[in-house]
Amino acid sequence: MPKRLINLTVNGEAYEVAVEPWWSLLYTVREELGLTGSKEGCGTGDCGACSMLVDGRLVTSCIMLAVEADGCQVTTIEGLATDGNLHPVQQAFVEKGAVQCGYCIPGMVMAAYDLLRRNPNPTLEEVRLGLAGNLCRCTGYAKIYEAVLAAAERMRGD
Amino acid sequence: MARETLERTGFRHVGRPVDRIDATGKVTGETPYGDDLRFPRLLHAKLVHAPVAHARIRRIDVSKALAVPGVEAVVTAADLPSHRINPDVRQQTLLARDEVLFYGQPVAAVLARDPYAAAHARDLVEVEYEELPAVVDPLEAMREDSPLARTSAIQEADRSEEQGHITIEAEQEQAQSRPSNVSSTITFKRGDIEAGFAEADAVVEGTWRSAMVHQSYIEPHVTIADYDANGELTIWSSTQAPFHVRHEVARTLGLPDARVRVVATEVGGGFGGKIYLYEALVGALAIHARRPVKLAMSRKEDMLAATPAPQAVVQLKAGMKADGTLVALQARVIYDSGAFPGAPVLPGCLLIGGSYKCPNLDIEGFEVLTNKVSVGALRAPGAPHVAFALESAMDMLAQRLELDPLEVRLKNAVEKGDPLPSGQPYPAIGLKECLEAIARTEIWQQRHQTRQRPNRGVGVAVGGWLGGLQPASATVGLNADGTVNVTVGAADITGTNTTFAQIAAEELNLPLSMVSVVTGDTKTAPYAGMTAGSKTTYTVGRAVKLAAEDARQQILAIASQRLEVPAEELEMEDGVVRAKGQPEKQVTFAELGRLTTGFGARYAPIVGRGAITARRQAPGFSAQVAEVEVDPDTGEVTVLRYAVAQDVGFAINPKSVEGQMQGGAAQGLGIALSEEMVYDERGRLLNPNLLDYRLPTTRDVPPIEAIIVEVPSEEGPYGARIVGEPSIVPGPAAVANAVADAVGARIFEVPITPERVLRALGKLQD
Amino acid sequence: MRPFAHFSPKSLDEALDTFRREGEGGRPIAGGTDLVVQLKEGGHKFPYPRYLVSLRRLPELKVLEWREGEGLRLGAGLTMSEVVESALVRERYPALVDGAGIVGSLQTMNMATIGGNACNAAPSADTAPPLLALEARARVVGPEGERVLPVEQFWLGPGRTVLRPGELLVEFLLPPPAPRSAAVYRRHTPRKQMDIAVVGVAVAVELDGDGRTLKRARIALGAVAPTPIRARRAEAALEGQAPTPEAIARAAALAREEATPISDVRGSAAFRRHLVEVVTERLLHEAIERARRG
Repeated sequence: MPKRLINLTVNGEAYEVAVEPWWSLLYTVREELGLTGSKEGCGTGDCGACSMLVDGRLVTSCIMLAVEADGCQVTTIEGLATDGNLHPVQQAFVEKGAVQCGYCIPGMVMAAYDLLRRNPNPTLEEVRLGLAGNLCRCTGYAKIYEAVLAAAERMRGD
Repeated sequence: MARETLERTGFRHVGRPVDRIDATGKVTGETPYGDDLRFPRLLHAKLVHAPVAHARIRRIDVSKALAVPGVEAVVTAADLPSHRINPDVRQQTLLARDEVLFYGQPVAAVLARDPYAAAHARDLVEVEYEELPAVVDPLEAMREDSPLARTSAIQEADRSEEQGHITIEAEQEQAQSRPSNVSSTITFKRGDIEAGFAEADAVVEGTWRSAMVHQSYIEPHVTIADYDANGELTIWSSTQAPFHVRHEVARTLGLPDARVRVVATEVGGGFGGKIYLYEALVGALAIHARRPVKLAMSRKEDMLAATPAPQAVVQLKAGMKADGTLVALQARVIYDSGAFPGAPVLPGCLLIGGSYKCPNLDIEGFEVLTNKVSVGALRAPGAPHVAFALESAMDMLAQRLELDPLEVRLKNAVEKGDPLPSGQPYPAIGLKECLEAIARTEIWQQRHQTRQRPNRGVGVAVGGWLGGLQPASATVGLNADGTVNVTVGAADITGTNTTFAQIAAEELNLPLSMVSVVTGDTKTAPYAGMTAGSKTTYTVGRAVKLAAEDARQQILAIASQRLEVPAEELEMEDGVVRAKGQPEKQVTFAELGRLTTGFGARYAPIVGRGAITARRQAPGFSAQVAEVEVDPDTGEVTVLRYAVAQDVGFAINPKSVEGQMQGGAAQGLGIALSEEMVYDERGRLLNPNLLDYRLPTTRDVPPIEAIIVEVPSEEGPYGARIVGEPSIVPGPAAVANAVADAVGARIFEVPITPERVLRALGKLQD
Repeated sequence: MRPFAHFSPKSLDEALDTFRREGEGGRPIAGGTDLVVQLKEGGHKFPYPRYLVSLRRLPELKVLEWREGEGLRLGAGLTMSEVVESALVRERYPALVDGAGIVGSLQTMNMATIGGNACNAAPSADTAPPLLALEARARVVGPEGERVLPVEQFWLGPGRTVLRPGELLVEFLLPPPAPRSAAVYRRHTPRKQMDIAVVGVAVAVELDGDGRTLKRARIALGAVAPTPIRARRAEAALEGQAPTPEAIARAAALAREEATPISDVRGSAAFRRHLVEVVTERLLHEAIERARRG
C-alpha cells in the first residue's frame, strides 16, 4: 500500500509528508522533517520528552499517530526561539542551571512554555502540577522550578 | 542557597557560578544525541529479548522475520565470531548462544531499513526454549539446595564498572570449589565483635531490603557502529566511558585498539548505567552487515536488558554505649548480581563500616547470581543499600538510649585518619561539617514544632562515597586569534567541560568567552578515564589545570623573547601579556597565535599538556534531612521539605554542584519511596515502563535545598573533591527515619510504599 | 508495531460505513493514549487490528450540551481537558472533573477522550466511577441502529465492553444533579501524578429536604473488580439513614466487602480492600458535607 500524504504546519512552515499509518508524529517530525529536537524517552507517553503543541495543545507526540495530526498546526522546540533569540523560558533554563544532560529539556521547555501561556503567574505548586508529565532524572527539578518561576516573572515584565 | 564555603578572593572564575557552556544547544533542541545523528545506508537493529528467565535454546527460526519487507538480516550467535566470546562476562556474551540466563537477554538481532520493520520482524523470530528452573530470590539462591542460575561456573569476573566508580584494593574471593550461586565473598574484621556487643548498653538489629532499581536516564541506550573498507570500526555511543569501550570492543572483536574509534555522543543521562553494554554487539553487527547499524533501545528494552542496580538484603546488628559511643557493628551484606558477576559487594562492605568510628567490626559480603538481568553501576553503587540499614540502626540506637540522632552521628562520625574497614585511612573529609550544616537548617531547627503536628516527622541520615581513580590527560592549545582550545577525552554529562573552561580561563587569566572545550573521540582526544566514580573534575580537572599551566609557561617563554623581559617579570590578563610595571611592553595572545600558527611562523604552536595519575581518593560525604507527612490510613508518604548538605571540597561551579546535589538527592527519594523493578516468581519483569516503574515526578519532589560544604581535598584542583555520587546515598534512610519519627513505624524495606507503611502500622493483616 | 490501515471519516455515518465496508479487524481510535501504547507494547485484549478508524473528526462525538430537565449530553470524543475546562461540567458535575482531571499527565488529558477511557475498559479508568455514581447512560450507535444503556452495563470485563464490531460509543447522558446533592471522585496512587489508580472511589449523595437523612447514595469503585462496579450493599445501608459517622463507617466496611480485587504490581488485594474502606469513608463525609452546604 502506498504511503499516505498528510499536511502538517510545523513551526509555521507547511509540509506535505508521505507517512505510514503506524508512524508516530514524533518519528515523522524527526525522521521526515529532520527536526530532531523532540526526544523519545519512553515511547509510551510517560516521560514527556517528546512534548509538542498540536493545534495549541501539549501532547506526547510519541503516542500520536502522524495520520491523526493531518491538517494540524504543530509547534516543536525548534519553533520557540525567534530571530536567534532564546524564548524567555529557554533563557531562564540556561541561567538558572536547570539543564544537565539535557535530554528531557526540549519537552520540559515545551511544557513550561505551555504552562505559562495558560497561567502567566503560577505558584510553585502550580509549576509542579504543570510539569508533572515531564520526567527529569538529573536535576531533582529544583532549578527547573526556579527557572519557570523566573521566566514567568520576566514574561510578565515585573 | 546557603554554603559553608571557602574564601573566593584571589580567583576570577573558579568558585563562581557560571552558565553551562553547552546549555543553549540543549534548550533549543539543537544539540545532537546519538539517535539524532544521520547515517546513509543505516540499518536499524532490534534485539529479540528472551521471554524466559532461564532456558536452553533449542532452535531459532528466522524465516518469517526475514520475509518482512525492509529486513536485511537476522543475526544469531551462530553468525557471530565465537572465539573471543566469554560467557562469564555480560558484554562479551553478545547474543545468548545455548543458554538464556535472564528474562530479556538478547538472543538474536534483526537488521532492517527502518525501525518499524525491524521491530515488526523481531516479533516474528521464532525461538524454541527448554525452560530451566529460574533462580529469582537471592536468599533462596544462597541455599545449598538451590538450583543453579547458570549451568557453567564463573571463571572470570569483570569488575571494571565497579572499579571505575570506586578504586580500592581489597581481597575479593572468587568462584568457589563447589558449584554455587555465590560468585564472590568479602570479609572485613576489626577488634572483637563479641566483646563489643558485651560492652554495649543498647543493641539493635534488623534486616533491611532494597529493591532493584533502574538508572532510568531519560535517553535510552543508543549505539551506532560502522566498519569501513580500511578495516576501521567506528562506534558512536551514549557512553560515559569512551576509552573503556574502545578497549573492550577491540578485545572482544579481535581488533587493535588503534583500529577502533569511539565517539562519545552527548549522554542523555547515565548515572553509571552507560559505561559499556552493547557496543561490541553493534560493532559485530556492523562488521557482519558491512553497513552502519544503529541500536536505539526502546524504554522497555532498556528496562529489560540494560544494567540496573541490584536488589540487596542487609542484616545488621549494632551496639552502642549509653554515652552514644558506637562499639560494635556486625553485618551480612547480600547483593543480587543477576545473571553475571559485577555486584558492588566491596563498596557495600566498606561503607557499612565506613561512616562511623567503631572499634569492633564483623562484615561479610556475598555476591549472588540469579536469573535476573545482570546489574551495573548506579551512582554510588551499593552505597544507598547499606546506608539504609546503618542509618536506620543509628536512629534506633539513639531512640533506645534517648539521645539526639544528629548528636549521636556527630559523636561517631569518621574524620581524617580514621580507618575504613579495609584499614585504609581517610584523608581530610567533611562528614562532621555536613552534619553541622544540616543541624543549622530550618527543617532541623524546627523539628520539635514539626513533630507537634499529627503524622509529621523529621529524619536525618548520612552517607559517603570514596570515588574512582583513573589517570587523565588534557591539552590546551592557543588558536591563531588568541582564543584557547581545551581538549579532553572525558564525556561531559554534568557540566565538567564548563568547569574545565573555568579552570583554563583561571590559569590563563582570560575571560570565559575566550576558552572553548571539546570532548574528542578516542582517536583524537588525550586519554581520560570513564565519567564515573565522581572523578572527572577531580582527575581530568587536574590535567586541564596542568595543561593550562604548561600553556601559560609556553606563552610566557615566547612573550619573554618578544618583549625581552624575563618571564617571571611578565603578567597576563585578558589575552595580553605585559611586563609588570611597564604596560607599554606587551604582546597579545592574538599576536602570539599568529606567531605560532602562521605561514613561516617563528615559533612552534603552543600546546599545553597535562597528564596526571590519581592514586589518592578524595571521599565525599553528604548529610540530609527530610520532613515528611504520613497518611496513617492510606500509608501515603509526602516529602514536604528536604535539604542536602555535601562536602565537595571546593565548588568550582557552585551552580552545577548544587544541581548535582539536588539531582542525586531526588534519586535517593525515588529509591526511598517509589522505584522498584518487580519480578514474578519465574523471573519475569512486570513493570518495564515508566508508568509502573515510578520515577519521582515534579509532584513528588519538593524544591530541595542544597548546602555546599567545603573541606578542601589534598589533590583535587583548588581543593575540589568528588561531587556526583554521595548525594544519592542518604535518601532512603533519611525518609525511613522521618517516617518512623512521624508515625512510629520503622520500615525495613525500600521503596517505602503506602502498602509497606500500612503493614508496619499493623493496619493490613492479610 | 505491525502495519495497519487508517481511515479518517468526517462524520459518524461515514465512520459506521467504513466499518461496514472494511469488515472484520477494525478498531476505532480516539485519543490513542491507550490504544497506541498497546499496539506498540502489547497488552491489548483484542486481536491486532487490520485497520483503524479515527474518531477525531466526528462532530457528533464532540457534543457538550445541557438540556434543562434532561441533563447533560457529553460527547464521547471530548478530551479530558475539554471536559475539565467546561464550565458546565465544573459547575454541575465536579466529580467528573475529579476523574477526568487526573488521567495521566496534562499531555494525556489533552489527547485522551472520555469515550476512549470507557472503551479501553480498564477497571482502573478514572472517569468510570464518577460516571457510575452519577448514573450516566451511554448512547451507542452501530450498524443495527442505536441503543442507550446505563453505563453500569457497558463494561463486561478488563478490556471488554458491550460494543459489537462496528458499533461506536457516541455520548454519555448525565441526569441533572438533584438539589442538596454532591458527588466526588478520589483515587489512591503511589505517585502524586502520572499513575494508575490502585483504587478509585466515586461517591454521589443526595440529602432530603431537611438535610437529616440520605435520600440517595451512590458508591462506585474502580480497580477492585474486573470492571468498575457499584457498591450496592453499601449504598442500601445508607439510603434513608441519618448520615452519622457510624452509618458511614458501616457503609464503607460494606463497600470493602463488595470489592473483589486482584493482587498485581500496583497493589495487593488486601491493600486495595483496605483502601476502599478508607477512601469511601472519607469521600462520604466529604460529599455529605458538600451536599449540606449546597
